[in-house]
Amino acid sequence: MSSLELRQIEKRYGGYRALRGINLRVEPGEFIVMVGPSGCGKSTLLKSIAGLVQVDSGEMLINGRDVTKAEPGDRGIAMVFQSYALYPHMTVAENMGFGLRMAKRPRTEIDAAVGRAAQILRLTDQLDKLPKQLSGGQRQRVAIGRAITRSPEVFLFDEPLSNLDAALRTQMRVELSTLHAALGATMVYVTHDQVEAMTMASRIVVLNAGSVEQVGAPRDLYSNPVNRFVAGFLGAPRMNFFEAKIVEARLGQVSVETAGLGRFAMPVVANTPLAIGDTATIGIRPEALKLVGNRDGAHFSGAAQLVEYLGRETIVYADAAPLRCIGSDTGTGNVTIHLPGIAQLETGASLQIAFDPANAYLFGGAEQRTLSAPKTI
Amino acid sequence: MYPRPIPPTARTERRLYLVLVIAILVVWLAPLFAIILTSFRSSADVANGNLWGWPTQFNLIDNYTGVFSRTPMAQYFLNSLLITVPSVIGVLVLSTLSGFVLAKYRFRGNMALFAVFVGGNFMPAQIMMIPVRDLMVRLGLYDTTFALIIFHVAFQTGFATLFMRNFVAALPDELFEAARAEGASPAQILRHVVFPLVRPAFAALAILTFTFIWNDYFWAVVLTISDTVKPVTAGLANLRGQYVSEWNIISAATMIVAVPPVVMFFLMQRHFIAGLTMGAVKG
Amino acid sequence: MTSIWRRQSGWATPTLFILPAIILFGVVIVLSSLQSLWISLHDWDGMGAMTWVGLDNYRELFGDPQFFVSLKNNLIWLIIFMAAPPAGLGIALLVNQQIAGMRILKSLFFVPLVLASVAVGVVFTWVYTPGFGLLALIFSAFGATAPALLSDEHFVTFAVVFAALWPQIAFCMVLYLAGLNSLSSDLIGAGRVDGAKGWNMLRHVVLPQLTQVTFIAIAITAIGALRSFDMVSVMTQGGPFGSSSVLAYQMYEQSIFSYRFGYGAAIATVLLAIMAVFIAWYLSRIIRAEARS
Repeated sequence: MSSLELRQIEKRYGGYRALRGINLRVEPGEFIVMVGPSGCGKSTLLKSIAGLVQVDSGEMLINGRDVTKAEPGDRGIAMVFQSYALYPHMTVAENMGFGLRMAKRPRTEIDAAVGRAAQILRLTDQLDKLPKQLSGGQRQRVAIGRAITRSPEVFLFDEPLSNLDAALRTQMRVELSTLHAALGATMVYVTHDQVEAMTMASRIVVLNAGSVEQVGAPRDLYSNPVNRFVAGFLGAPRMNFFEAKIVEARLGQVSVETAGLGRFAMPVVANTPLAIGDTATIGIRPEALKLVGNRDGAHFSGAAQLVEYLGRETIVYADAAPLRCIGSDTGTGNVTIHLPGIAQLETGASLQIAFDPANAYLFGGAEQRTLSAPKTI
Repeated sequence: MYPRPIPPTARTERRLYLVLVIAILVVWLAPLFAIILTSFRSSADVANGNLWGWPTQFNLIDNYTGVFSRTPMAQYFLNSLLITVPSVIGVLVLSTLSGFVLAKYRFRGNMALFAVFVGGNFMPAQIMMIPVRDLMVRLGLYDTTFALIIFHVAFQTGFATLFMRNFVAALPDELFEAARAEGASPAQILRHVVFPLVRPAFAALAILTFTFIWNDYFWAVVLTISDTVKPVTAGLANLRGQYVSEWNIISAATMIVAVPPVVMFFLMQRHFIAGLTMGAVKG
Repeated sequence: MTSIWRRQSGWATPTLFILPAIILFGVVIVLSSLQSLWISLHDWDGMGAMTWVGLDNYRELFGDPQFFVSLKNNLIWLIIFMAAPPAGLGIALLVNQQIAGMRILKSLFFVPLVLASVAVGVVFTWVYTPGFGLLALIFSAFGATAPALLSDEHFVTFAVVFAALWPQIAFCMVLYLAGLNSLSSDLIGAGRVDGAKGWNMLRHVVLPQLTQVTFIAIAITAIGALRSFDMVSVMTQGGPFGSSSVLAYQMYEQSIFSYRFGYGAAIATVLLAIMAVFIAWYLSRIIRAEARS
């Protein structure tokens, strides 16, 4: 179990700043998941930790040891690649033992380490096979086994499940969590799949445009995102955002108004930069919206445009004009509503929609920081 | 597929097609048949102009043993092997090293270096003839097999580097990153990752460079004069002067020059074609 | 100490790897080529001291009728060689069928490609032999007498180029066969659905997918035509009376037989200048394709 510390990591490609002063401290035994949109720098950051990419400035410490300039093989890391990167000409056992062989360890030690890893990953019967004779899931396990064999201080995973089909991905997700619990090792995991992030991480690191937006436990990030980007990035379907105007500002509370939604009051943090007349963004998660029977209890109304039945939940895309979501990613409907169970709705049905203002978020200022009062989990 | 495949059910069409292809092939290879046929004939037939009728006697064995006993062809053949085999090995080694570096290391001038290797390969031989000949004279290697080996290794390294670079570049980067992450040094990556993975390229490159070097004529006449050093190509040209009218002997000698690359080609056809067309088809 | 070595080794080993190739290629190929440019400005018999003559060699060259004969022959080579890509495509289209036995027939079509050019030269000298060569046989079948191609200064270059076309067509055929095998079957299918057949299919669907192959076939054929030496040397030695000489052969003759190394180097330089057009065209396309990927 080892700690990992990143201090002011910078990486440029030509004029492009891929990593902009990344700071992060990973505690021993943590499972850190780095998420972010493509191009946010998460893979570059992982490769920098591995030493496969040379950073321009900043420091990197593993267990307090400065490894910023160390060769990848000398850092005490092991990496699992997206494509698995198994050597096609080596058997499973040879693949798994390659790192130790490079370190010129004695044969018996290599065999023992490979045997142990194979047992953990249920690969004992496959040791003499070549990668091409294995299924996708088995190859994935060999890649993980190759990392385990080296008993590294930090495990690095680069989107390791993205090449698997959905069922296998769920299974491997569970296996990886179990493995983490069993080994108690420090792991850094990069993914673009927020389900993986939410289910596996001790803490999630949200990256955007080469910077860390927020670090925290999955539930914290989900309930209390620091800004609109994180709020929009975590959660599927995505949070609904509406543009609004501040009409009243008091200590700890503001009133907002938006076309189609009327005026309502929200609790906010003490030091908001907001003044009357400012524009801000209201965020409401699709699951915070509910359907009510009549117009009296409703905040707004709309018409169902598309209804997706997913079994235990139903997602409704509704047209709630004049209310309009900003940055709607479906293009269909303006508001997304996430309902539990099967909701019997016809396309075109008129909907009366309500929500609890305490569940809504308010984002404002230049960086669209979260200004609504923290939610209790 | 284009042209549209002739369906297996169209028996007659298939047969007609095969007859047509074979007819064209016969015309295509007629010059070669002429030489093969002549290499079977007796000197009497050749002298009497009986070149296309049925041979009065088959002199297959006599002609070929004649080439070896009356001319230095055996010596030329050995020389060719002594030049070609070490050259091919040298080319494989050098180009694997340089191709690997050009494919997987980014450095300033990488592309320029690549361009020099590729471009040098298309230079007319005459532009380097005088200095190369002069260099070999000064090194005391003129008229030795070493002169040809050194030149061939140098020249073929251009094409071979292009070849190996493209082959290694097509291997996934993650394999090399994985090896680095596991602590393998560049030399270890070369030995444990590159060498095992480029074996198919080795085969293709070996057969191609073998053919190029075996068939070289220009450098053979520029860098050698003695029969003890000359390869078959230069040797054949010599015999042409000596055995002007003995076309049966010349034909047999020609066959001896031609056969090794043809045999190699048929043995390793897939690799040869893959090697030759690499780069031409992709992209 | 070890850490310094480790850090150094990041670059030291790869440098070590590529150095032998760079040194050998640099000295023997690149440096030699540059040296020739230098030699072309001198008078030199290959042994004694070099005498600086400036551009005299070039001046002499442009007044040398043999130079223009060679240049004209190089042009003939270049033009006639351009028949190789379409002919190669034709044979490739002919044999691109998957029928039992086709594999071996295809291989037999490739044979001229692997023959030494010396062998091809001898084979065709034999074909052209007056009186009883293959050509004479064909002519006599029509009751005519074949001309002695290799000793007729009007026909000789064409006869040599025709012989050289043989392996060149085989080369283009190999390229096109590989190209035909990598065609997108979806596109061919789409073409068929749209009713394209025969020539239209070739023109609008197949050839556009073979542009890269066609480019390589043309570029390499052009470079090959200008580089021609072996066949001329074996079949005619530039004769009769220099009428079939090409720049490459004239250069060799001037240097090796007449010991005029400076003059030879000047001929080689002119040849290189002509070829540079094609080499640069080829390189720029290759490099651009590389830069894209």
